[in-house]
Amino acid sequence: MTKRRAFLAGLAATGLAPRTSWAELGAPDFLSAALFPDGSYRLAGLRAAGEILFSLPLPARGHAAAAHPHRAEAVAFARRPGTFALVIDCTTGQELARLTAPEGRHFYGHGTFSPDGRLLFTTENDYEAGIGIIGLWDAANGYARLGEFNSGGVGPHDMALMPDGATLVIANGGIETHPDTGRAKLNLPVMRPNLSYLDLTGTVLDQIEPPSELHKNSIRHLTVRADGLVGFAMQWQGNTAEHPPLLGLHRRGEPPRLLTAPETDQRRLNGYAGSVAFSHNGRTAAITSPRGGALHLFDVASGAFTAAHMIEDVCGLGPSPDGLIFTAGTGAVGQLTGTGASVSAQAKCQWDNHLVPVPHT
Amino acid sequence: MRLIACLLALLIPATLFAQDRAATLTAITDAHILPSFAELTVRTEALKTATQKDCMPASPDLQTAFHAAFDAWIAVSHLRFGPTEEQDRAFALAFWPDTKGFTPKTLSALIAAEDPAVNDPDAFASVSIAGRGFFALEAMLYDAKFAEQGSAPYRCALIRAIAADIDANADAIRADWQQDYTAKLTAPGPNSPYRSGDEAVQELFKALATGLQFTADTRLGRPMGTFDRPRPNRAEARRSGRALRHVVLSLTALRDLAALLAADHPDVAAELDAGFAHALDRAEKLNDPTFAGVADPQGRFRVETLQQAINDIRDLTATRLGPTLDVAAGFNSLDGD
Repeated sequence: MTKRRAFLAGLAATGLAPRTSWAELGAPDFLSAALFPDGSYRLAGLRAAGEILFSLPLPARGHAAAAHPHRAEAVAFARRPGTFALVIDCTTGQELARLTAPEGRHFYGHGTFSPDGRLLFTTENDYEAGIGIIGLWDAANGYARLGEFNSGGVGPHDMALMPDGATLVIANGGIETHPDTGRAKLNLPVMRPNLSYLDLTGTVLDQIEPPSELHKNSIRHLTVRADGLVGFAMQWQGNTAEHPPLLGLHRRGEPPRLLTAPETDQRRLNGYAGSVAFSHNGRTAAITSPRGGALHLFDVASGAFTAAHMIEDVCGLGPSPDGLIFTAGTGAVGQLTGTGASVSAQAKCQWDNHLVPVPHT
Repeated sequence: MRLIACLLALLIPATLFAQDRAATLTAITDAHILPSFAELTVRTEALKTATQKDCMPASPDLQTAFHAAFDAWIAVSHLRFGPTEEQDRAFALAFWPDTKGFTPKTLSALIAAEDPAVNDPDAFASVSIAGRGFFALEAMLYDAKFAEQGSAPYRCALIRAIAADIDANADAIRADWQQDYTAKLTAPGPNSPYRSGDEAVQELFKALATGLQFTADTRLGRPMGTFDRPRPNRAEARRSGRALRHVVLSLTALRDLAALLAADHPDVAAELDAGFAHALDRAEKLNDPTFAGVADPQGRFRVETLQQAINDIRDLTATRLGPTLDVAAGFNSLDGD
């Protein structure tokens, strides 16, 4: 058995192994990390209706994952400041490779593949210098480290590939942390988050920052619509008596639009948006706040706030055929349609922060 | 026993909880928050006066006043909400950690340019926060690098400007607490940032939890570094020999806040108090005022033991105090990412 595993791993490393596609696995729509009742942390594949197709063990609490565009292969990241990520064959649960952050780096928990699936990009921290890094890994050859470039800011968190397949959009949260001090935020009074667009060699093409009075609004998560409109979610690190917008929309070449609910609803978010998604038809943008137990919907065209749904510990969010799907730390999986929010499944696990869409090819 | 307490709790009408909240909030503002900020303003006023009498860094009176005012700040440094967060007042009082060396850079730039902002309090209030507050003053008084930089009269004016700015900031925070924020915290509702007593109590619980976290992770974690690479030069206010003192002062203040938060739950209060007593005992036995000892394994181990004692209080706060105050949080809402 050991021999066979080693043999398969060897094949995997050369890229010669026969690879299962996502369709053969039952076409999961999303990946999500979760805590299961037996105390194990697992990475699950689920359908938009809430059905869990598979769940694979993780060595520690996960955060986000990256789904390979073709192969049924996922990269599961530990929560920051984790220094490793696992490449998992989602058919067998077998570890295909282990990404270890180079000396002086740790992962932030998000990453994305190039459209051809040959490259993996990861957000990382050069913590001695306090500079954000994008790591490059060779997904075609056993995930060897190929190189790195600056992320264009401090504390890069979520990242995505633009529809052109040649541009990365990166949420540089602006917050400096160092593993010596755990998750302590070291630079709040001088933090400067930004949204950076980089080509795949690391050249900064475009950058936007919140206005100076909102420099403590950490841009952490993002999503990209098919036409290149970027939705970004923020986490307010400033005075808790203030309730600034936590959702932004940006199209390159235009100024960003910051969207907010009326004061009474906005304050319920507790300054914290955990996930952001566009609906399937792209007309609605949504953010979740686990701290406020709230999900807010906005009309993309007008920027108008359209609805608030109160859902305990809600965080994961993604598009579904009917509109949007959400998950919560309570195990709930639910749907948002034109008519309202409904829980479609109650899993016996605690869903972690994010739903990562699996490409349908 | 705990089950019985839970069942009893179910029988108590909700209004009684609301009254409990009001009593807790009033007790904490009256006995903890307002007197501590009053003490701060007295000490910062004395510091300002001391710099006016004698601005020489070696002046014993100035150094004594510096320590007393800094002590008073550390004793309120966990109360990071409301008045301290207006216009970044708290950061302007204490810009630390300074991971990229902004304080020495800002001070050097002011001195090199002989920036006239030192002659005008309003102008000085718009200088970068890295060049203001206790850590900027500490650099001017105790860092040899600044002893000879620029001209003596300018250094003197800068020291006086920093002290006056510290005092103005402390006064502004206290005035806000007296004239505005005490009412907001103790009378939640539509005119308050807190919709309910629960939210106001949660703010104070958060102040306790983040205060403990800052002391364990940052005040101790930064100099501890890793076993292979300890960082004694990263200890807080090490030039003025205050690193351990900050830990003791903050634990003392947090112990007071914890006791008031747990006042209605004597068993939890006793557990917390024992936790603080243990951590303070560890701190006082360290005999290592700047954590220089982290450089060798034995010394680092002793600091780590202190850190563990504080982490034990954090666990108690999360698992015992949080649930009794009904401020426990969910899987995702607890610790964001």
